[in-house]
Amino acid sequence: MTVHWKRSAIGLVLGAASLIALANAVPAADTAPPQASVTVISGGTVRGVLGRMVQGTNGKDMGRVVDVIVDPAGQVRAAIVDFGGFLGVGSRKIAVDWNALHFREAVKDGGPLKLELAQDQLKAAPEYKEGQALVVIGSTGALEPLNFLQSPQEK
Amino acid sequence: MGSNRLRMSAHKPSARSTRALDWFVFFLADVQTGFGAFVAVYLTTEKWTQVEIGFILSVGGIIALLGQVPGGALVDWARSERLVAAVAVATIGVSAFAYAAWPIFPIVLLAAVLQAASSCVLGPAIAAISLGLVGRSAISVRLGRNARFASIGSGIAAAGMGACGYLLSSRAVFFVTVVLAIPTILAIAHIRADEINPEEAHGSVPREAPSDRRERSIAMLARNRPLLEFALVLALFQFANAAMLPLVGTYVTTQSSNWAPALIAACIVLPQIVVAAISPSIGRRAQIWGRRPLLLIGISALVLRGLLFAVVHDPHLLVLIQVLDGVTASVFGVLVPLIVVDVTYGSGHFNLAQGIVGTATGVGASVSMLFAGHLGDRFGNEVAFFALATVAAIDFFFVLFVIPETRT
Repeated sequence: MTVHWKRSAIGLVLGAASLIALANAVPAADTAPPQASVTVISGGTVRGVLGRMVQGTNGKDMGRVVDVIVDPAGQVRAAIVDFGGFLGVGSRKIAVDWNALHFREAVKDGGPLKLELAQDQLKAAPEYKEGQALVVIGSTGALEPLNFLQSPQEK
Repeated sequence: MGSNRLRMSAHKPSARSTRALDWFVFFLADVQTGFGAFVAVYLTTEKWTQVEIGFILSVGGIIALLGQVPGGALVDWARSERLVAAVAVATIGVSAFAYAAWPIFPIVLLAAVLQAASSCVLGPAIAAISLGLVGRSAISVRLGRNARFASIGSGIAAAGMGACGYLLSSRAVFFVTVVLAIPTILAIAHIRADEINPEEAHGSVPREAPSDRRERSIAMLARNRPLLEFALVLALFQFANAAMLPLVGTYVTTQSSNWAPALIAACIVLPQIVVAAISPSIGRRAQIWGRRPLLLIGISALVLRGLLFAVVHDPHLLVLIQVLDGVTASVFGVLVPLIVVDVTYGSGHFNLAQGIVGTATGVGASVSMLFAGHLGDRFGNEVAFFALATVAAIDFFFVLFVIPETRT
């Protein structure tokens, strides 16, 4: 059905994004036109993360993944998580360090991502705004600015 | 529906129609609450990107703004407000079902447009049915009662759907909305058509001679100075008001992460309780004191709220300050349709006029979010709240020096 088309399409994109290292490991074919390579990953070992619930280590729901931030090398640097709020009021999008997230349960159907940050540690993080300098909150609780996103005209 | 309408000089609607209108207002608030809040969360769980979700919300917002005037004109033009309202509710139900069943871009876009367009019709339709039912002499009390039931409806819906979204899924909220559309339509059907005076519902004097028709042209509304001044009052009011709750919500989230959702829920529900409690007496006072004193009280509460938000930082006290939001909301909930009745009575374009003030309200709200969001980012929340309070103060003086008393 069309619903599945939508889901699988985005799931595929994100699955590919999170497996970027794996894709890079495949040697590029020099012959032109390059032949498409096919990688088969068994179901249950990978999963898309968009819209996935993020839980604290205490199992409390904290928010949802709404976007993934990559650098020019294609490395995933941060996840944008929509935190808190009630009925859409007061929710904030915060960039959390990709390394602060744990995905063991996330490959299960509907399984959450685990974030090794206490909710109080997130308070200090500024809200994520597209196109502005990105401040990523890491597992040490430190705020790490990512400058590569800053566009030239903003400087 | 209802071909044999009586033209009554004295309006005495039956208890059945009165109660049916109560329930209509109550369930409609339920139906409308579900939509706004859950669209973004639901589409996120359906793996929509932020860009797509933002686009859908913007399209809905633009339709909701541009549709106000045509929506009001449609209600004026229609001879059965009940039919228009029922079709609009059914459309919202179908839209909610489409969201839940087929979350793909073209369907959701269409559903968002239909939902926004239907809402543009329903605001004027409720006021038109009320006016047609009770007549001008009793309308202020009736509007107070409407505000009470709308507030109870949306308060219960916010709590119930919040729980539903949390315990089941955000998709379930849309199915609940579909189900709630059914009692809403049943309630409309229970309002007796022959008790709604169609002339009255459009704000014209009954049995007016057809030769006066040119006098009642739409252009007359554009020259209706009290109406345009009042539209400006509302634009300024929403400019000052609309961004306050979102700003407080964001602030609460940064202050108290663990309790933020509960505190924000309290910030939303507390004003609803106040509105439910005091709206009927606002309706009565509007008839005794006149409109202006109440309008000034409502705007004063807004000024005070802005100033308090700027200086108070304890999240629990912020919730208490929201009582003032309830005061402002009930004053405006009752007085907006009431003053529009006052200034357009006899024109036959009561609902179109509602669309005009609705547009002004929407413009004010959009500007508010941009303005306060920008100030908050650059200079902090205190500055944003002071600025909003200043806008509210300007509105206060505008009412004080320019707006005439419209009670007759």
